[in-house]
Amino acid sequence: MIKKFTFNMRLFWQGASLSYVALFRWLTPITYMASKIVSPLAQMIFFVVLGMYATGKDSAPFYVIGNAMQITAVSGIYGVTMSIGGDRWTGTLPYLFGTPANRFFMFTGRALVHILDGMIGVFIGFFWGVALLGLDLNSANPLALLITVLVTTLSTSGLGLLLGSLSLVSLNVMFVNNTVYFLLLLFSGANVDLTKLPLWIQSFSNMLPLTRGIASARMIVNGASLGDVAPLLFQEFIMGMIYISLGYFLFRWFEMQAKRKGTLEAI
Amino acid sequence: MDAIEIKNLRRVYATNTGTFRRKMKEVVAVEDVSFAIKNGELFGLLGPNGAGKTTTVKMLTTLLIPTAGSATILGSDIVKDANDIRSKIGFIFGGERGLYWRLSAINNLRYFASLYHVEPREADKRIPYLLDMVGLGDRGDEKVEGYSRGMKQRLHIARALLHNPEVLFLDEPTIGLDPVGARELRAVVRDLQSEKKTILLTTHYMFEADALCERIAVINHGKIIALDTPEALKKHVIDLSVIEIEVYGVSDDLINKIKNLSYVDNVSTQNREQRQILMVQTRRGPEAVPDLVSAFNGVRIGKVSAREPTLEDAYVRLVGGAA
Amino acid sequence: MNWKIIKSHLRVVFLTFEMTFRQNMVDSFILFTIVVQPLLIAILAMWMLRERGGDYAIFVIVGSGMSGLWSSLLFVSGNSITSERWNGNLEGLVASPTPIQFAVFGKAMANVTQSLLSMIASYSVVAVLFDVQLRMEQPLVFFSSLVLTMLTFMTFGLIISSVFVINPDVQRWQNGLEFPIFILAGFLFPISLLPGWTNPLSYILAPYWATRVLHAATVGLATSSEIILTWSMMILFGILYIALSGRMFKKMLYRARVEATLNMQ
Repeated sequence: MIKKFTFNMRLFWQGASLSYVALFRWLTPITYMASKIVSPLAQMIFFVVLGMYATGKDSAPFYVIGNAMQITAVSGIYGVTMSIGGDRWTGTLPYLFGTPANRFFMFTGRALVHILDGMIGVFIGFFWGVALLGLDLNSANPLALLITVLVTTLSTSGLGLLLGSLSLVSLNVMFVNNTVYFLLLLFSGANVDLTKLPLWIQSFSNMLPLTRGIASARMIVNGASLGDVAPLLFQEFIMGMIYISLGYFLFRWFEMQAKRKGTLEAI
Repeated sequence: MDAIEIKNLRRVYATNTGTFRRKMKEVVAVEDVSFAIKNGELFGLLGPNGAGKTTTVKMLTTLLIPTAGSATILGSDIVKDANDIRSKIGFIFGGERGLYWRLSAINNLRYFASLYHVEPREADKRIPYLLDMVGLGDRGDEKVEGYSRGMKQRLHIARALLHNPEVLFLDEPTIGLDPVGARELRAVVRDLQSEKKTILLTTHYMFEADALCERIAVINHGKIIALDTPEALKKHVIDLSVIEIEVYGVSDDLINKIKNLSYVDNVSTQNREQRQILMVQTRRGPEAVPDLVSAFNGVRIGKVSAREPTLEDAYVRLVGGAA
Repeated sequence: MNWKIIKSHLRVVFLTFEMTFRQNMVDSFILFTIVVQPLLIAILAMWMLRERGGDYAIFVIVGSGMSGLWSSLLFVSGNSITSERWNGNLEGLVASPTPIQFAVFGKAMANVTQSLLSMIASYSVVAVLFDVQLRMEQPLVFFSSLVLTMLTFMTFGLIISSVFVINPDVQRWQNGLEFPIFILAGFLFPISLLPGWTNPLSYILAPYWATRVLHAATVGLATSSEIILTWSMMILFGILYIALSGRMFKKMLYRARVEATLNMQ
């Protein structure tokens, strides 16, 4: 029993360190800085200023929080998806599926590094918000904010795992990734007050990760306690679990199909 | 003036190794190459993989700048007058790349024709002609992505000839082709030679160089180690001629007698069922057969065959020796 | 100059335009950059600017269209030469007697044209989705400015592709150059909202001048002096880009032939 546990833990960490190496092998310090610091900042400034143009200078915090939280989508989607889909391109899928290793730990281990990476990105975003864009965090409960960021990163990574599994089945990985990233930008409420949009759009937004996380973050910055946002965070967490499960089932389904049809190496 | 004159051409590559502490490493691809190719000559450049053949050709086709040395093609310097040269030469490096996969063969050729300043009217005449010549006449409208490797290779040749260049560089043109395709391609090369084009052909197929080339340079480790006609090169290894004589039991005395003949280098025997094969190595080559046979003096012999040295033998000795 | 050769060069531009146009249609990454992203930005901007009121629809179309133009320039035109290298066709282009700039220009032309078509498509989609009237006050000025914009962007395509080849590190900043230009060029908001010290940065960007006159023309604020100023800047930049591009390509090609980077090893 313990043996199995340690074995699975080892699998989990192996997947994690693989992702870590893969993430940093092609990155030079310059590229990492550009993608972690410059790009998110530029995107944030763009939408914050656009937001101020739209709804006035005082509304800046609304957009700052929304876009800072949205940064989880960068590692959650691009990072996680590639760490699953990457195996297809490097041709290592047959080797993975040929092992008796526990698929779940193999699957989720890969997401770990990107979750941590994503959280760092969000905190950098909040830093910029305070330093450059006048965000006031004085009323914010740090623990609540931390948990919010963690849960949100987890759920967006769940979406990433689903997209990653999807990328094993379909071919247009980057197209899907880019589209989903932008859809999150539109529908998560990062830049729009969702209550002002038609109901059917709000329903759609609630099916996505990030939506409730952003709402929670805004409440917390306005002084809400952990208890106030707990229901939202719980829902966000469940959302993440749903996506992870869907992704995992797709992952297993893909393995079965590929073995049945002999298309494991097909690209 | 020779068509191509090469003086002390040298090319060094600098590569990086390691990820964190990057080190510079120098690789000498071409160390010191000098030779000249006459107008209308079909010249072969022979050598193992990594010898520097492709690098030399890339320098001559203005794709690489030499680290040292110089070369002229039809009087123009390959670095200073690169653009003058480009309209007068054609080249193929072959392989899968270098063509636009989503375009048909005809559209590929039309595009390259425009790159090479061939007038559309002229191109419309040449393209069908060239496609026929390389055996792709009825498949010109198909997209290149559906072509086999051999077909792509042949399309490369058509592309290289669009502007009717005076000088052609063919880098391993038959590699990856099946025997029939390769033979057809060699026929095309021979036709080109009869049109008095100057051709530099690189290959590592010996028989191909032997069959096609008027002169051959053997290159290894970036240096020319031999330059001569195929015949002359083969004469270098005439001592590798082997005469095989089938005998039905022969005494050791007789073997020693043959060994001691002045023109015999070595004798070895091979047993096959009830027969023996005597393998006689002699510098005189096949013309020693009558004398050898008479040396047997009545002992019954069967089949006699003489194996002439091939260019491959010469090459192996040259390349092996220089290693 | 030899008239035959000039005709040949123009033919190369046109054939490359045709080939690139077709190839782009089946490339999902390019389709995303040129068609999907600008449309999504348009929709988001429509939602956001609704609060502001007024006739913001055409403003959004023009702004998002320009953002699409910039993104396509950055990611698609910028990769013109590097993508030929990946496909193994770069050597064939370099070794031909036609300077490679003509092929690159043909590609830039295709990308810019497709961005324009995408702008028109966004126009239709937004008009239908949001049920708005899209009114243009100074159509003549607008369309002339649009033509000039396209030409300026095409010449910029020449520069950016050679810069990315000369210095591959710069290409790694591709992602980092997208949104900053959205901001500084004032695509979807006036640069007066930005701190004053950034304005000089805006003034050295050709997209800024293009956007400025296009936005003005849609609401009828393009005075003669505005038009003269913005058009002169665009023409100036265009000439600058053409002049620079000759030198940059020469340098890039020489360096590539010394360092043996024309081919993927």
